[in-house]
Amino acid sequence: MTVAVTIEVGAERYALPVSHVEEVGELGEVTPVPGAGPAVLGVRNLHGRILPVFDLGGLLGVDHDAPAQLVVAASAGVSAGLAVSGVVGVSELDTSAGSPAAEPLSRAVLTGDALVGVLDPELLFTALERHATS
Amino acid sequence: MSGADEQLAALFRDEANERLDHMVETALALERGDAPADAVAALFRDAHTIKGGAGMLGLDRIVAIAHALEDVLQRARTAGELPREEIQPLLEAVDRMRAELDGRPEPEPVREPAPAASQTVRVSHEKIDRLLEVVGESLLHHRRLEHLSAPGVEIDDELLRGERLLDELKDSAIAMRTLPLGSIVSSLPRAVRDIARSEGKQAELHVSGAEIELDRTILETLAEPLAHLLRNAVAHGIESSDERALAGKPATGRIELRATQRGAFVEVVVADDGRGVAQSVLAEARGGASLADLLARPGFSTAESAGDLAGRGVGLDAVKRHVEGFGGTLEVRSEPGRGTEIALMLPLALALLDVILVERGGRVFGVPLSTVEEVTQARDVVALQGRRSLVLRGAAVPLVDLADVVGADAPALGIAPTAVVVANGVRRRAIACDALLGTAEVVVKPLPLLGRVPGHLGAAIRGDGTIALLLDPSWLVHAHESAGGRAIVAEEPAAALPQQTVLVVEDSFSVRELQRSILEAAGYAVDTAQDGQAALARLTANPAISLVVSDVEMPNLDGFGLTRAIRADARRASLPVVLVTSLDSDEHRRRGLEAGADAYIAKNAFDQRGLLETIDRLVGV
Repeated sequence: MTVAVTIEVGAERYALPVSHVEEVGELGEVTPVPGAGPAVLGVRNLHGRILPVFDLGGLLGVDHDAPAQLVVAASAGVSAGLAVSGVVGVSELDTSAGSPAAEPLSRAVLTGDALVGVLDPELLFTALERHATS
Repeated sequence: MSGADEQLAALFRDEANERLDHMVETALALERGDAPADAVAALFRDAHTIKGGAGMLGLDRIVAIAHALEDVLQRARTAGELPREEIQPLLEAVDRMRAELDGRPEPEPVREPAPAASQTVRVSHEKIDRLLEVVGESLLHHRRLEHLSAPGVEIDDELLRGERLLDELKDSAIAMRTLPLGSIVSSLPRAVRDIARSEGKQAELHVSGAEIELDRTILETLAEPLAHLLRNAVAHGIESSDERALAGKPATGRIELRATQRGAFVEVVVADDGRGVAQSVLAEARGGASLADLLARPGFSTAESAGDLAGRGVGLDAVKRHVEGFGGTLEVRSEPGRGTEIALMLPLALALLDVILVERGGRVFGVPLSTVEEVTQARDVVALQGRRSLVLRGAAVPLVDLADVVGADAPALGIAPTAVVVANGVRRRAIACDALLGTAEVVVKPLPLLGRVPGHLGAAIRGDGTIALLLDPSWLVHAHESAGGRAIVAEEPAAALPQQTVLVVEDSFSVRELQRSILEAAGYAVDTAQDGQAALARLTANPAISLVVSDVEMPNLDGFGLTRAIRADARRASLPVVLVTSLDSDEHRRRGLEAGADAYIAKNAFDQRGLLETIDRLVGV
C-alpha cells in the first residue's frame, strides 16, 4: 500500500506518493520564463525559494482548463511545482493491484469508478527536466 | 560544457552516496541474517552501477575498488551466499569509495562525535546559501525602511549603523562561500606532466596565488575549463624540445597558473612560454576583433597541424562562454615565439549581484550592472535592412526590443523608449524596454530544473515578493532576434539533416543524464528509459527512435534481453542497438553480439568520441 495524494488534471486522476509531496496550495503568481518549453508555466516565489512550475496537464497531454492548484513535488532534493485542476485528497492506494502504465507513470490503479495514474517520482522529474526546454 | 559536467559529477556523487548507504544497509542485514533473498544481487548491482558512473567520470580509484567488489560479489552470487568474513572487507571498501568520492585520502573512521574542541565546524553550503539569502533580504528590507522613515538625525544615524552592520554581515557570509583556488589545482601539475609526455614534450606547471579565494560555485565549475586551457597550452603552445632548443629556450616548457585579486574580481592567468599564436592571426586581430573572439571562433585552432588535439578553438569558445556566463571575461594576449597568456577575470562572489532592473510588458528583468555602459532614451534611431540601430555619439549600436530578444509577449514599445546599452566583449547592443526601475543588489538564485533554458543567469526575489529574471549579458548581445517575439533562437549546432532520436536505456540516473547530455550536445534528440522493459514501452510510444544505446546490467530486463526482444520483433529487426557496459569481458561481448547488438562499448574505455563515432556510423549522420 502506498499513501498518495490524488490530484485532478482535467477529467483525469493521478496520484503522487505523499513522501514526494512537500505541500499543496493555490497556484499563486507565476512569472513566465521566456525560452522555456510550453509545459513550463514559469517560476514562483515559494517562501523565499524559486520554484519552477510545470503544467502537469500539458506534460501528460491531458485536455484541461487553466489549472488553479499547486502541488509541490520533490525528488532527490529538487522541488518542482505541478499546476493541477484540483487536489482530491490523501488516501491509501494498493499500487500492487494496478497494471503497468507508460512513463512517467509507474502503475494505473482502478479505485472506485476512476482509473488513477500513479506518478513515478524519478520518471516524473526526468520528464520535467526534458520539458524544461522543449 | 563544464557546467553540465559538474552537475553530472554532483549527480553522480549523490547517487553513489545513496548506493553506498544502501550497500552498508544490505551488508549489515546480511551479517544479522535478515537480508532479503536478492541481497547479494542487489550489492552487485550497486557496486556495478557505481563502477559504471565512476568510469565515465574518470574516477579510476573508485572503479578499481568497485571492480574488486564486483569480483567478490560475483563469486558470492554464483555460490548463493556471501561468506560472513567477507562482510568486514566489503564495508571497508565502501568506506574507501566514500572517501574517494569526497576527495579524502583516507576513510574517516566511524566513531562517536568528537568533543567540541575543534576550531572549525563543517556547514553545508545550502545553509550558507540560506544565510546569504536572508542577508540579501535584510538589505532589501533596510532599503524599504529608509524610504519609509521620516527624516530625522537620530533615525538617519541608526539607519546608517544598521547599513554598516548589514554590510559586515554580508561580507562575512560571502567569505564563507569562498574557497581557495588551491582546492582545485592540486591535481593539475601532474596532469600537465602527463599530457606533455603523451605529446612527446616536456612541460612543468608553476602555480602561484593558490591561496586566493573564489566563490565556491565558480570554483567548482572552473576545474575543467582550467584543465582545458592547460591542455591547450601544452598541445598548441609548448614546442617540442628540439624546436625549443633551436629557439634558444630551455628544453622544458614553462606553464604558469597565476591568480591575483583585483578588486571585486580575481584574475586567473594561464601562461605558456611556447610558440604563441601565428603572426597572421595577430594581424587579423589588429583588424578589429579581439584575439579572444578570434580564437574562440568555432573550429578555430592555433595548431598548424590538425593533430588529434586540433579544433581546440571550439574548447576555448566554451570556456569563454562559461566565464561570461557568470559575469566574467576572457582575454588572450600573445607574442609570436614568446608565448600566450589567457586571462580569466572572475567575479569574487556570485551570490550577490548589482543589477539594473528594467520593465518590459509588465515583467521585470535584471541585467548585471557591470555590463551596462549607459541607459538612455532611444531617440536617434536609424535602420538598415529593417534592423534598427541607435546612434550614440557618432556610433551606430544595434537596437533590439527586449521582448523580442527573450521571446516574451509584450505590447509595442512607446516612442523613444528607454534603451540599456549592454557591452560584452567587443559586442554592444542597445536593449529597448518600457521603463528603467533602478539598480539593486540582489541575491542570485538559480532556476531549478530550468538551468538549460538559454539566456538566464537565475532569478531574484524582489522586495515585494515578485520575481525578476536575471538575464545573461553575453546572451543578450548575441541572441538572435526572434520574429514577432516568438520562440527564442538559441545558438545551436546547425543540423542540416533531420534530427535522429536515440533511446538511452540505463538504470543509473547520473549515467543516463551524462549520456543524454553527450548525445544532445552532438545534435541528437534523446529519449530515455531506466530498464529494458521501460525501453520496449518507449519504442512502442516513440516511433522516431532510430537507435538504442543500452546498459547491460539492469533490473527487470537486462541489455541482452532487450536486444533479443528488439530483434524478435520484425518491425525492429534492423534497429541499431549499441550496448555500453562496464562488463568488459570477451564472454559478455560475445553474448551481446549473439543477442544481436550492433556494437559493444566498454564503459571503462568509454569516451564521448568513441560513442559518437559508433552512433554516427550506425545511423549515418
